[in-house]
Amino acid sequence: MHPNEMNALATETRRHFFRRCPVSLGGIALANLLGRDGLATGSTRVSTGDALCGLHHTPKAKRVIYLFMAGGPSQFELFEPKPELQKLHDQPIPESFVKGKRFAFMDTFSKERPKLLGTKRKFAPVGDAGLQVSELLPHFKYIANDVAFVRTVATDIFNHAPAKLFVNTGSAQSGRPSLGSWLSYGIGSESKDLPAFVVLQSGGRGPRGGAPLWGSGFLPTAHQGVPFRSMGDPIVSLSSPPGIDQQIQGETVEALADLNRLHQQSTGDSEITTRIKAYEMAYRMQSSAPELIDLKRESKETLDLYGATPGKPSFANNCVLARRMIERGVRFVQLYHTDWDHHGDTVNHLGGPLEKVCLETDRACAALVLDLKRRGLLEDTLVVWGGEFGRTPMGEVRELVGRNHHIDTFPMWFAGAGVKKGIVHGQTDEFGFAPVAGRAHVHDIQATVLHLCGIDHKKLTYRFQGRDFRLTDVHGELMAPILA
Amino acid sequence: MARIRNHPLFPALVFLAGLFGQSAQGAEKVDFQTIGTLFRAKCFSCHGPEKQRANLRLDTPAGIQEGGDSGPVLEPGKPDSSRLLDAVLGRNGQNRMPPKGDPLSEKEVELVRAWIAEGAKMPASGKTATVDKSKHWSFQPITNPQVPQVIQPAWVKNSIDAFVLARLDREGLKPSPEADAITLMRRVSLDLTGLPSEPAQIANFIGRFGAQAYEKWVDHLLGQPAYGERWARVWLDQARYADSNGYSIDAPRSIWPWRDWVIQALNDDMPFDRFTTEQLAGDLIPGATVSQKVATGFHRNTQINEEGGVDKEQFRVESVIDRVGTTGSVWLGLTIACAQCHNHKFDPISQREYYQLFAFFNNQDEPSLTLVPAVMAKEQLESVGKVDKDGKKAKAKPKVEKPAITTMVLAERPVARQTKILLGGDFTRAGMEVDAGTPALLPSLNRASAVGKPNRLDLAQWLVSRINPLTSRVLVNRHWGHFFGLPLVETENDFGTQGSLPSHPDLLDWLATRFMEDGWSMKKLHRLVVNSATYRQSSAHRQDLDTRDPRNRLLARQKRIRLGAEAVRDSALVASGLLSDKVGGPSVFPPQPSGVDQFTQVRRPWVASEGPDRYRRGLYTHFWRAAPYPGLTVFDAPDAGTTCTRRNQSNTPLQALTLLNDQAYGECAHGLALRVLKEGAESQQSLVGRMFELAMARQPTEAERQRLGRFNEEQVRRLEGNSKVLDLLLAQGGQPGKELAARPEAAAGKAALVLLARLVLNLDEFITRE
Repeated sequence: MHPNEMNALATETRRHFFRRCPVSLGGIALANLLGRDGLATGSTRVSTGDALCGLHHTPKAKRVIYLFMAGGPSQFELFEPKPELQKLHDQPIPESFVKGKRFAFMDTFSKERPKLLGTKRKFAPVGDAGLQVSELLPHFKYIANDVAFVRTVATDIFNHAPAKLFVNTGSAQSGRPSLGSWLSYGIGSESKDLPAFVVLQSGGRGPRGGAPLWGSGFLPTAHQGVPFRSMGDPIVSLSSPPGIDQQIQGETVEALADLNRLHQQSTGDSEITTRIKAYEMAYRMQSSAPELIDLKRESKETLDLYGATPGKPSFANNCVLARRMIERGVRFVQLYHTDWDHHGDTVNHLGGPLEKVCLETDRACAALVLDLKRRGLLEDTLVVWGGEFGRTPMGEVRELVGRNHHIDTFPMWFAGAGVKKGIVHGQTDEFGFAPVAGRAHVHDIQATVLHLCGIDHKKLTYRFQGRDFRLTDVHGELMAPILA
Repeated sequence: MARIRNHPLFPALVFLAGLFGQSAQGAEKVDFQTIGTLFRAKCFSCHGPEKQRANLRLDTPAGIQEGGDSGPVLEPGKPDSSRLLDAVLGRNGQNRMPPKGDPLSEKEVELVRAWIAEGAKMPASGKTATVDKSKHWSFQPITNPQVPQVIQPAWVKNSIDAFVLARLDREGLKPSPEADAITLMRRVSLDLTGLPSEPAQIANFIGRFGAQAYEKWVDHLLGQPAYGERWARVWLDQARYADSNGYSIDAPRSIWPWRDWVIQALNDDMPFDRFTTEQLAGDLIPGATVSQKVATGFHRNTQINEEGGVDKEQFRVESVIDRVGTTGSVWLGLTIACAQCHNHKFDPISQREYYQLFAFFNNQDEPSLTLVPAVMAKEQLESVGKVDKDGKKAKAKPKVEKPAITTMVLAERPVARQTKILLGGDFTRAGMEVDAGTPALLPSLNRASAVGKPNRLDLAQWLVSRINPLTSRVLVNRHWGHFFGLPLVETENDFGTQGSLPSHPDLLDWLATRFMEDGWSMKKLHRLVVNSATYRQSSAHRQDLDTRDPRNRLLARQKRIRLGAEAVRDSALVASGLLSDKVGGPSVFPPQPSGVDQFTQVRRPWVASEGPDRYRRGLYTHFWRAAPYPGLTVFDAPDAGTTCTRRNQSNTPLQALTLLNDQAYGECAHGLALRVLKEGAESQQSLVGRMFELAMARQPTEAERQRLGRFNEEQVRRLEGNSKVLDLLLAQGGQPGKELAARPEAAAGKAALVLLARLVLNLDEFITRE
């Protein structure tokens, strides 16, 4: 699937998976007017996987790839060298910075005021904007001029699982729909045989928080993220049981359709048609998904670009997969890579463990942007890179060198559809403790991503328990400075 | 006048009378209540219980007299020297108040002037204004409407039908005919017990009781232990039950004894008022029994964040917030949670009142109760009896060391925590202190004892008091939804002003009254509903209704409803004869596709249970919050994150993949094939028919029989020539698969029957309650 469908996308939206939009935008408006009777309010659960049709404006991004660096990458070792921090290394941070602030592991703070920690990493300017990037990310320079880099994202939550929920769902408690499920609900899927929202995972373990991070909350469950696993069946129960070959499966689905149709004739229930189509799509998915995940179909040159090896699960493989997915119409692919939580204990610190995750991700991130670009996909694909929070300019009193969680400012970058190329947005203070200009809250990021996808974050709502919920809660401002 | 005085709108009426009925400048005194009502409408949002801009609060007489940062606001007797009048007029250098919204009308200004001129009289203490009792329907007392007259009384089986039919009469619609006996008996079996009925049992009841078969069947089902299991699941959704703590670590927890308490209580038909009291405050009941303490597990189903570096107080507060919101949704059908950060935007619930409710739940410790200590022997575990309802406690067994059985409970702290309003809902920003209390828009808290401050027991008793206008309505409405696909009030968790109106208001009130008069008996309620003619109608679509009433709000027919997640699984287990009927006990591990925990922080190995525990009802499947059992969530089981008062009914390809390919269903297909072979049949054709009947409780139609037969023949033909596929097929299916493979029948026939069983278990009708 290729570009130039933007207008088509805006007018001819699709329902999740397979259903065509039954009503025009006018019809939706009418349904909203009639909302009191429950048609559109869908107070909780009247819908059956129907996506709301219609976008609010012409989208720039038709799809999103979100590279989630789980654990909270340290900006000071990657993008944020601070001379003042180097100079005052090992001095207690001035009290004015930390007074009244809350951090994770607060108990260690009460003993002594934490000390500033200079970085050991070497930096050099890259790209036209001269962003300082550390030696740990040697490939970043190849995409620096394609990226809108934001230094100053702020969040509210300083513990991993709730902070990840917050970035994904706009709330630190589970039970709210995630960004991907809102997109699925709002604009549906472009694929006839793949889900709208796919989740991939790499690194030592899964992200803290698990399924609620890609949950659909109170939205119909058809909109939840579908995890594609790197081992075994990519989708749960995708393979037919041993002995059931494609022919048997095909004849089964055919017989099911005939028998279901007979029953529909006697009941008149259109849900049965939906069920028949669900089986047909499941059957198609059984052949399309294995083809999709088969990286051997990629050229050696492409695999080398990413550093991917078929059959050996990695972040690089997932980046190739993400590109293959969006080529096939998946709306939102979210990649989690874990183990960015470098506190300074013996397992996670700013030495080897940080080098390891950088090595695992740096090349593939750059390759993904370059590959999308050369295929003409970057024009209408948004790539997002970031974690759930940043790290403190202070070190921690632990066995080895590391930093604590920090919510005041952390970096994210965006590339592709609708964002400026090669800019750096936001400034932090002399220690990189807090923004002095260009602060962007997590809700602003969410509003901006939805905006690029043609959605007004204030208008995409769902009524649940008497309230119209939205991804950005009651907040969220567009980040105009990064929009092209 | 007494009647009017009791009217919920009385203060407002007085206000209107003050405005229009009499001259404000006349000789008569201005009633302070009128002024209070005006202040509430115009001033409280900045100078009231939550906010005190310029340190001025007008919600208490003391506050009015004290004034704010700029000094007193009143000079009694001298309106034109009073800053208050300056402010509402925006003169003498004062910004006009209120700064947003409409200014006071001329008449209102004159009222204020007159009141000050008369000496600004006000009571010495108390509140400036009572909350305006809303005129919204659900906040009014529950009525006991007369059963209406109808044109066709013959159709009416009980009073429910009269209400439904009267409405249909008005609309000029006719009800649908009764569904056939088999459909009806399968339907009611699924609705009451969550299990499909066995064809033989249906035939037996029809044979024994003839025309009374249905009613007898209903009585039979209500007595089954499966009844408590099915309705427990409904309650577990609302309680956000899971077997793990959630968040990062998602460690396992032991709270299944509470789940078993719920099953037992429902099977015992524990009255809902007691069911409520024991769960919300069992520990506070004088002389509380172990069982009553176990019941308090309801509010222990909140999540626990065990990740390093957390502020424990933050997550304790989160739990309390969850408890307030859940209590509001489950019992009151109100979106009380909306008032956490600000006054409710739509319903008359203030942020202060939110924290008054919060105060009830802010004073507990969260211990685990040891039911059976670790060193105890198995027979003693069984003597706990009520918890585990196994019934086979007589057998003495050798002493074996077993882990302790514990369950999570609430326990009141001896020294109460202070509760303060959290500004913006943020636990780091404490505001004014508040005492426990209930929202003023509802009848006041009538406490048995005036000693000490109100506690959870008072709250629980208040929730289920006969004068509470919400609890009974909310419950009957929600249960109605389970029998008809849609509740009477469609927004079953929002009875507030933003909710939808009841489709049949009189029926709702009649049911709510009847429910309380029947001693809050859920079984009586269910019996009443399923015995109605309304419930017994055919679910077939009708062209006239598809245009007039496509969503079946008027109930001129029944509705096809896709089975809930657990019932999908349980139905396959019943059809295949594999279901274990054991009630209660620790959660179990049916086969699950590998790698489900691949996306979690802490991998939790899933070792599939063997023996009967492999085939327990879906209700007993171990639920990890971070990696829920996919076979359940794919069919819309909730994620146990927040209270779920009504499930989705989605219809997706992932459901198809689950039923087609999941090993758990594969074993059922082998089981069903084995079952029909064991029963024996005269012909292949009757085998096919029998298999269909075991799944749907009915015989296939001729067209269906032909299509099933054709599929079966095709598969036999192909398999006969393909020993490789045949061997593979017959090597699957777990224990029933082994037994099937060992049978003497021809391999191709057996394997084809497995494929046929798989087909039948995937039919839309199989996972639908017709």
